[in-house]
Amino acid sequence: MAMRLIYAIVIIVGFAAILADHLSSPSSGRPVSPEDFAGACAPCGAPCPSTQKK
Amino acid sequence: MTVAAAQPAVPARLPRLDWPFLLAAVLAIALLVTLVLIDGQPVSAALVLFGFALGAVFLKAEFSFTASWRRLITSGQTDGFLGGLLLIAIAAAAIIPVAALAPGFGGAIAPLGPSLLIGAFVFGIGMQLANGCGSGTLYTAGGGSGRMLVTLVCFIAGSVIGSLHLPAVLALGGIDPVIASAYLGPWGGLAVTWASLGLAAIVAIAIARRRGAIVWPARRIVIGAVLIGLLSIAVFAVGHHPWSVTFGFTVWGAKLATLFGMDFSAAQFWQWPGPKRALADSILSDTSSLTNFGMILGAMAAAAATAPFARTSWPPLKSLAAAAIGGLLMGWGARLGFGCNIGAFVGGVASGSLHGWIWFAAALGGCMIGIRLRPLFGLSRE
Repeated sequence: MAMRLIYAIVIIVGFAAILADHLSSPSSGRPVSPEDFAGACAPCGAPCPSTQKK
Repeated sequence: MTVAAAQPAVPARLPRLDWPFLLAAVLAIALLVTLVLIDGQPVSAALVLFGFALGAVFLKAEFSFTASWRRLITSGQTDGFLGGLLLIAIAAAAIIPVAALAPGFGGAIAPLGPSLLIGAFVFGIGMQLANGCGSGTLYTAGGGSGRMLVTLVCFIAGSVIGSLHLPAVLALGGIDPVIASAYLGPWGGLAVTWASLGLAAIVAIAIARRRGAIVWPARRIVIGAVLIGLLSIAVFAVGHHPWSVTFGFTVWGAKLATLFGMDFSAAQFWQWPGPKRALADSILSDTSSLTNFGMILGAMAAAAATAPFARTSWPPLKSLAAAAIGGLLMGWGARLGFGCNIGAFVGGVASGSLHGWIWFAAALGGCMIGIRLRPLFGLSRE
């Protein structure tokens, strides 16, 4: 299939998915990253080894 | 018959706009900004727009970690590598002191252990097979490379798989993050970080001179590094954490998998507070997703503004296989290694966190393997 057609489909489907997710999910106010939460020790929110041992 | 004679005699034309894709990118970014502004979130709008600028700058400057690291390894060429170090030095000037002194701000930190080493090493293999890292995948996929769309899809899948394996690998052990500013204060931490970047530059330059390779970056790379460094500071200023890419991919993949019936309630990773919240909330509440969307659309707009968009033909199957395998490895490696070149290396070193340099060393080792594997997929080692 032509690459431009694939791109057109990806843009439309992708944007529809973002819109559907946004409209059907709660918004927590200010955007957050996992590091914002207590106990996060990495950008993905993983806990520190010292707390895992406890 | 010469090649020139075979070409039709048409006058050289100026690069032309690709209106449909330029309009689509601009319209999509405008709609995203409108959506988050309706929710009263100017911070989200700013992150989308900074991502848009990053995508355009990466594409126009052709700023590439993957190719520059490959040139560093194969020929000792340091131009692109020095550009990356300059970018980090600029970002560190704001991130280290602000993260240490301003409440609510934090650096990119991560524990040190087997997970970091394994993840970064595997990521390095993947980035050479895919021919792009986290940011590279975003801007080249956004810029019209269908091959990198394949990488992006597999990157997303790999990162979800990695999220399921990470807790078990973390249980192998490790130590808490080591942050320069925690030992030396914010300014001492910044000085040590700049010194480490300077040392890396000196070593790289010495190797390049010994091998007779290109040393200094072209103006395009320097301008790109400065602009990307400044935009990294802007993302940090509004997002309160250094710019990251790959967590967004993991959330996208998990949300899609949930849509198809997958249940993450028993997965430890998705019970940690940050990932759990990200999976439940709107995708437009996640900082890395916001900059990622902006970056894809920024690259698309920049590409469509100067040339016909995505007019190339599909690459050979072997090349597509490398793109897919590379994407899977990068996704899995990014989850275990706490990020990609942006979140772990740029963000980590610019935060004065030791894990950034360890990630770099392990990923460079992976790149050496990845470069050796490239000919199997019909890709050049250069």
